[in-house]
Amino acid sequence: MSRYTITALAAATALPLLFAGPALAQADYGDFDGYTLRVKLIGGAQYEPLYAEISKWEEMTGATVDILSRKNHFELDREIKQDIAANTLDWCVGSNHTSFAPQYGNIYVDLREHIDEDVLAEFVPLVLEHGTVDGRLVQLPRHSDISNLFYLKSLYEDEDNKAAFMEEYGYELAPPETWQQVSDQAKFFADPPDFYGTQFVGKDEAITGRFYEMLIAEGGQLFTDDWEPAFNSEAGVRALQWFVDLYEANAVPAGVPNYLWDDTGLGFGSGTVAINLDWAGWSAYFNDPDAAATAGNVGLIRAPKGSSGKRTGWSGSHTFSITETCDNKEAAASFITFLTDHDRQMVEARTGLLPTRTQVWEDAKAEFAEAGNDFMVNVFETFGASMAEDAFTPPLIPEWIEVSNVLWPELQAAMIGDKTAQEALDDAAEEALIIMEDAGYR
Amino acid sequence: MIRYFRTRQAALTPLLLLMPAIVTMLFVVALPLVFSLWTSLTPYRLTRPETIEVFIGIRNYVRIFTDDDFWAAFGRTILFLAIALNVEFLLGLGIALLINKITWGQRTLRTIMMFPMMFSPILVGFQFKFIFNDNIGILNNALQSLGITDQAIPWLVDGRLAMFSIIFAEVWMSTSVFAILLLAGLFAMPRDPLEAARVDGCNAWQVFRHITLPFIMPFAFIAMTIRSLDVARAYDIVQVMTDGGPAGRTELIWTMLARVGYENARMGQANAMAYVSTILSVAFTYFFFTKLIAARRYMGGAE
Repeated sequence: MSRYTITALAAATALPLLFAGPALAQADYGDFDGYTLRVKLIGGAQYEPLYAEISKWEEMTGATVDILSRKNHFELDREIKQDIAANTLDWCVGSNHTSFAPQYGNIYVDLREHIDEDVLAEFVPLVLEHGTVDGRLVQLPRHSDISNLFYLKSLYEDEDNKAAFMEEYGYELAPPETWQQVSDQAKFFADPPDFYGTQFVGKDEAITGRFYEMLIAEGGQLFTDDWEPAFNSEAGVRALQWFVDLYEANAVPAGVPNYLWDDTGLGFGSGTVAINLDWAGWSAYFNDPDAAATAGNVGLIRAPKGSSGKRTGWSGSHTFSITETCDNKEAAASFITFLTDHDRQMVEARTGLLPTRTQVWEDAKAEFAEAGNDFMVNVFETFGASMAEDAFTPPLIPEWIEVSNVLWPELQAAMIGDKTAQEALDDAAEEALIIMEDAGYR
Repeated sequence: MIRYFRTRQAALTPLLLLMPAIVTMLFVVALPLVFSLWTSLTPYRLTRPETIEVFIGIRNYVRIFTDDDFWAAFGRTILFLAIALNVEFLLGLGIALLINKITWGQRTLRTIMMFPMMFSPILVGFQFKFIFNDNIGILNNALQSLGITDQAIPWLVDGRLAMFSIIFAEVWMSTSVFAILLLAGLFAMPRDPLEAARVDGCNAWQVFRHITLPFIMPFAFIAMTIRSLDVARAYDIVQVMTDGGPAGRTELIWTMLARVGYENARMGQANAMAYVSTILSVAFTYFFFTKLIAARRYMGGAE
C-alpha cells in the first residue's frame, strides 16, 4: 500500500531543477497577520520539496503554519480517525487522498463554497470529479497518480526474440496493446529464477486495486447498481485468472503474493523483469543510471486494454482538505490554493509527480523538452493521456477499504492455489455482502 | 472525640499515601480496560463516534467466536509464541553461557549483543522482508550463487517458510533479552556449589544440569514473563513482512485486530478481539509466574 509513500527513491533521483517556471502574475493570498494555521500533512521524501515553499505563503500573508504531524498516509489516516473519535479536530488543513476521503464522513468542508470557480476551472475536470464525495468537493487535488506499462526495450529489439515469439504465438513481438498479449509475452520472456516476464503487487489494497482495474477492463463491475457485490461474475473470474495463470506459469516471481510497490519498483529497476505496470513516480528512478540497471533501456506505453476494449486505469490523487471545525476557513482556503497553484505544481512536476492543473501538464512537458529530456517528455505525454482518458477511482464509498480487506486475502488464496478463482471470489462476495448490509446499503 | 479522629486519621494515612499510586493505576489501567470492555459491547466505529452509545450485548464476541479465521489466527498466535519464546530461550542460554566463559572482550560482546534490540521492529521487518525477497533478496541470491539451489525459494509465500521467516526475524530481534537476563543470572551465581560439585567428581554436563540450570531458571522465567507480555510488538514485523498473508497463512491475532480496528474502523469488534488477546497474554504470564515460583521454591529461595 505504500503507493502513497513510494520511497525516497523517486524524489532522490528526480531531475534537477533546470528552469524556473514561467512567471505568472503574483496571486493575492490575503492578509492573515498573526494567525497560526494548524495543519496535518503527509510526510515522505517525495512530498517535502513542496513544503519548502510554505515559508513563501507565510511571508505573503503574515500567517504562521504549524505542522502538527507529517506522517505517511496510513499513520495519518489512523490519526485522523482517532481525532474524529476523540473529537479533537482542532486543526484546519489535512492531507487527504481520493481513496481515503469517503471514510471521513462530513468532517471536511465543500471547497466550492470557499474557493473561486475560476481557480477550480484550471484543474483537470476528471480529477476534480474524483475529489467529489456525495456531491461535495471535499478535497483539492495536489498531484495524481495512475499506472502505465514500462518495459525493457532491448528485449523487443532482439531479432532472435522476434523470430522465436512469432513462431510460438503467431503474431509479431511488439510492446503489448492488450493484457492477453502481456500474458503471452511475460510467459515468453520468463526464465526463472534469473528473469521474469512481469510482476504484480500481491497484498493489501494494492492487489485489490490491480484486480479492480482488471475487472473494469474485462467489462465487469465491483457492485451492482443497488450495491450488491458483483465481482464474482464471469468477468471477475477472467480478471483474477489472469493473475493466477501467470503465477502458475512461473512467469512472475514466486514471492509476488507478498509484494508491495517498493518490491515491484525495485524489482523492475534491477533489470530482472521484462514488463512492469507501475506508477509515474518511478519513471525517473527507472531511467537513472546511478540507481537502476534499466537506465537507457526503459520503454513506456499506455496501460493495455482488457477484453472489453477498455484500458486499466486505477487512479487516485493526493489532495488537501479543510475541516468544518476550522476557525479561519479563509486562511485555510488561501493556503491550499497556494500549495496547488501553478508554480507549486511545477515544483512537484519537476520531480516527476503528475500535476492536476491542465496548464502545468503542458508547461512541465515544455520544460523537459527544452532540457533535452526526451524520456520525461514521453512520461508526461503517456501519463497525461491516461489521466485524461483512462483514469477511474474505486467506488467512492466509506466501505472501500473494508471490502478490500475481505477481497485481497481471497485473491491471494486463488493465486497460491488454495481455491479456484470462482470459489475465492464467491467467498469474498459473501463477506462483502455482509459489510454492505451492515452499512445499511441493502 | 479528638482521639477518635486521630486514630481514624492514623488508619487512613497508608491509604492517603497510596492515593497517587491508586489514582494513577485507575486512570492508566482500570479506566481504559473498562472503556474498552464497554466498546467491545457496542458497534463502535472510530469514524462514527456516536455508535459508542449503542449497546449490542455480546454480538461482537459471538461474531469472532464463530469465525474460523479468528480461531485459526488465535491458534497460530499460540504456535508463534511457543516457538519464538523457546527458540529465544535456547539461543539466549547458549549465548549467555558462551559469553560467561570468555575473559577478554566480554563487555564489548555484551554491547554488540544488544544491537538488535536498538532497532525499531518496523525497521527489522523491512530489513528481513528484503533479505527474504525471492527475486532481489540477498538470501536467495546467496543460495543460488553458492549452488545450493537453482530455485527462487518463496520465503514469504510458502505457508511454513513464511511462518519460519517471521519467527526468524522475531528471534533475531529479541534473543538478546534472554541472553542478558540469563547472563545476569550467571554472574550472580555463587562459585561454591560449582567447586563442591567438581570436587565430588561431577562432569561438566552434570554440573550444568543439576546446578547451573536450576539456578538460572528463575531468571529464564522472568525473561519469559516479560517477553510473553511484549511479544505483541512482533505485530510490526509481521505487518511489514507479510501483513498476515498470503491468504491468511501468517495471520496472527494482532495483525487481524489492527486491521479490523483501524483500517476497517470497527473498534468495537477489534476490542472484543483485544480482550481475547489480553486473556491469552494473562494466561501465558500466569503460567510463567507459577513456573517462576516453583523454580524459586526448588532453589529454596523466597516466594
